[in-house]
Order: sequence, then C-alpha cells, then structure tokens
Amino acid sequence: MTNALHVHDLCVTYDREVVLRDVHALLQPGDSVALIGPNGAGKSTFIKAILGLVPASSGFVEVLGTTPAKARPLVAYVPQIDHLDARFPISVQQVALMGRYRRIGWLRRPGRVDRAATLDALEQVGLADRANDSFGVLSGGQRQRVLIARAIAQDAKLLLLDEPFNGVDSVTQDVLIEVLGRLRAAGTAVVMATHDISVAHLACGHACLLNRHQVAFGRLDDALTADTLKATYGHHAVMLAEGTALLSTH
Amino acid sequence: MLGIIRFLTEPFAPAYMQRSLVISLLLAALSGVVGVVVQLRRLSFMTDALTHSVFPGIAIAFVAGESLFVGALIAGAVAATLLTFAARSTRIDQDAFMALVLASLFSIGVIVVSRHRSYSADLTTLLFGRVLAVDTADIITTAAVAVVALGVLVAIRKELLLRAFDETGAEAMGYSLLRIDLAVNLVVALVVVAAVRAVGTALVVALLITPAATARLLCSRLQSLMISAVAISALAAWLGLVISYDASVHHGIRLAAGATIVVVLTALFAVVAIAQALRTGMARRRTLAAVAT
Repeated sequence: MTNALHVHDLCVTYDREVVLRDVHALLQPGDSVALIGPNGAGKSTFIKAILGLVPASSGFVEVLGTTPAKARPLVAYVPQIDHLDARFPISVQQVALMGRYRRIGWLRRPGRVDRAATLDALEQVGLADRANDSFGVLSGGQRQRVLIARAIAQDAKLLLLDEPFNGVDSVTQDVLIEVLGRLRAAGTAVVMATHDISVAHLACGHACLLNRHQVAFGRLDDALTADTLKATYGHHAVMLAEGTALLSTH
Repeated sequence: MLGIIRFLTEPFAPAYMQRSLVISLLLAALSGVVGVVVQLRRLSFMTDALTHSVFPGIAIAFVAGESLFVGALIAGAVAATLLTFAARSTRIDQDAFMALVLASLFSIGVIVVSRHRSYSADLTTLLFGRVLAVDTADIITTAAVAVVALGVLVAIRKELLLRAFDETGAEAMGYSLLRIDLAVNLVVALVVVAAVRAVGTALVVALLITPAATARLLCSRLQSLMISAVAISALAAWLGLVISYDASVHHGIRLAAGATIVVVLTALFAVVAIAQALRTGMARRRTLAAVAT
C-alpha cells in the first residue's frame, strides 16, 4: 500500500533562515496527525511543504507515492477561515463547487454530477439548506464547514487543515470531528494544525509536535506527553492532569 | 415627459453622436464586467499603472505615423506582462514598483510627444480622448476587443473566481497563478487600449473602477454585480453624452464628452454612497430606539 505521506529529515529555509528542521513523518491511508506547537512553530510551513508550495532545502516530502506538486490534484487544503475575505461576493454552493474544479478541467462548465457531489458534501456538513446563501452571511464556524465541504467535494486522498477548530462553535466542532472520522474510515489521511490538545485527542491517532524543529512524532499517546509538551511550549505549558494542559500560544 | 424623452434622444440625431453612443455603450459593457474582475482581484492600482504605461506606446506610434491602436496594444501587453511577473516576486515592493513603472513609462510618453511640433493639442487628445471623433473602424475594433476580452473571462471564470477568493487554495489545487494572472492582466490591458481612444489615458481608469465600486455598494452577488456595473456604466455614458451635447449646442458651454461621462459616473457613485450611508444611519437609529424602549 502506498504511504499517504512520507517525510524524511525535512528542512525548510526562508531567506537563509531555518524555519523548520528535522521533520520526519509517516502516514498510512486513513491515518490522522495533529500538528501541535505554538504560533510561528512552523505548522503552516509544514503544510505548505506537503503542498509543495515551499521547497525543502534538504530532506524530502513524498505525498501519495509521488512529489508534492504531482500529488496536488489528490490533496485537499482547507485554509484558516480568517484568511478569506468574508465580503467576497460568492455563494456557499459556489465555494463548495470549487472542490470539483480540477475534475471539471479548464474551459468546461460544472455538470450535473459536480452539482450533486457539491450538494452532497454540503449535506454532510449540515449546510445543504444554505447552499444559495452568501458565504459572507454565515458564521465563522459555518464558513469553516463550507470549506470542509469543498474538501469533501474534491474527493482527496490527503486532507490538510490549517487550524480548523479556531474560534468555531460546538456544533461545528462536532460536525468536523464526525466528518473527519468518516473520511478517515474511507481511507483519506488527515494532517491538521491545531492549538487544541483535546481536539487532537478526539480527531487524531498521531501527533507531531513542532517548535521550529520536530520535538516528537508518533502515535498520539506516545508523542503527546507532559515532557514533549513542555519541550514544545517551554514554560508556557502548564500540565493540569493526565492528558490535559494549559497552553499559551505566544 | 415628451420633453425628457426628446432631451435624452435628440442629441443622437447626428451620425457622429450615434457612433459615440455605440462605442460608449460597447465600452460600458466591457469595462463594467472587467471592472468587477479588477475589483475582486484588487487590481485598481495596477489598472492605473497600465493606463499610464499605454501612453508611450500611443505616443511613439503617433510620432512614427503608425496605428495608435497597435502602439497602445504593444505597450499594454508589455506592461501587463512585466507587472504580472513583478507581482509574483517576493523581493519587490509591489506598490513602489507599480508607481515606478507608471511614472517612468508615462515620462517616456511625454518626452516622445513633446518632441513633436503640434505637441499640446495632440497631448490633450491622448490624455482625454475624443469620443465624438470615433469612426466605424474604431467601433469594429472595440467590438472585436470586447469579444476577445469577454471570451477569455468566460473561458477562465472558474479559475479566476477561485484565484480571487482563495489564492493559497488555488495554488494548493495545482493551478498556475502566474498563468491566470497574466490572462487577467492582459485582458485589463486590452480594455484600457480599447477605451483609450474614446476617453483618453487619464480617464480610462474611471471607467474600470467607478461602475464596479458603485455596483459593490448595491449588490453582493457576482452576477448582479456585473449586470449593475454594466447598467451603471451604460447610463453614465448615455447621460454624459446628452449633457455634454446639450451644454455645447444649447448653452454654448463646451464640455468634453469623455470627461462628462466620468463626472456622471462619479456623481452616480456619490448618490448611491450617500443614500447607503443615510439608510444605514436610519437603521441604526431605529435599532437604538427599539433597544431604548
């Protein structure tokens, strides 16, 4: 079986400054990894390296058995919701339909199959009844769900999410965890940047702790310990009880 | 009522006024749609830079006795390509680079034109256009430009929408942003070139920016934005020509037709913006009153 993601000794530099180093990871289809670390730890950089949008200065990233650039049509990316302009004149359905664009191809119009897949994806995140609404009138959590629907419509083998649980309501959190579980059961691997340790426990089987270098990678219970959290967050981590921690993200 | 209809239609009895109206409405359709794209992609400043970059092309063609349209087309295509590649570079400060391109190319245009004998009259034509002097060939060229520009936008509308909405998302899906940007910037350059003869390099930017900005105050859907921008642009073209004709013929006041169209566009924007502000203010007062009771 082809690995969903294989990262070996990855190092990324911006303007000769090393922003991320010593990253190793191995994910099988259906696996899910939480990227945990403070702001500026390199979580987004790691995701961009998996997309092939930032080059590896050493080491390699292999996605679905090929290079990141070649794997892109099979990889879905969900950006941070506040990186998008909420006033952009676009409907919920139009956003979700974007997930089908690569399949539809240049110059061609979306067909009935694409519209059905889009509506089905919106149904899965509980927003089928909002398909014709403006994207901007939805709440932050609902907009996040539309982006997840876009990723579902893309039918990807690897799903990358940048802080999907940031500032979302509890309904959205439940829907996301359920949808991620369903996608994983269907063989989609998931890489998710998050600040939230409890969410990592709910949604992921693996953890990757980063703070400009890799502190730990492995099965969640092995990788996410009091020691590794302290090593990742330094004195900003306060351990409360088994498996819970108070983290300052700054 | 009949008086108003006569006021609105009488100016278009002469053939030259009919030609002006046809070309103005064609440009309205073109710049309305492209203007919305410019706004969504936040290319207003780049559009301004393009309008100035076209000027030396026209000036050189003018002095060399070649076709102004071809001169503008070449300059526009070169500038659009240059600006597209510069925009993809992380090492260059975008605004500074555009300002630099804008000013330096414009100065080349001024140098070329100033070496010519009838310099001031020609410069006025190039800067402010001559919408009343267009001929049938101009109309055909503009129609051809409209077909090509709108054709390209229709062809890449999906990719364009994605790229404008979610840049990283588009890149992550494997789209070449450079290719999409180049296509859009060349379309904008093409529209600038088509509009320059009618309204001149100084005013063409208003055609591309103002109708879309006004429409943005009124609607929040892409389709309705484009339809409103075209309608606003067409209304301003019609009214501008009527006002300029009426002032010249009946009141002896010479109003440049192109500039009058731009003034009407700005007036429409102001009316809509003020109406919106008043409405928002009234709604807020009503909410406050409701809370108070």
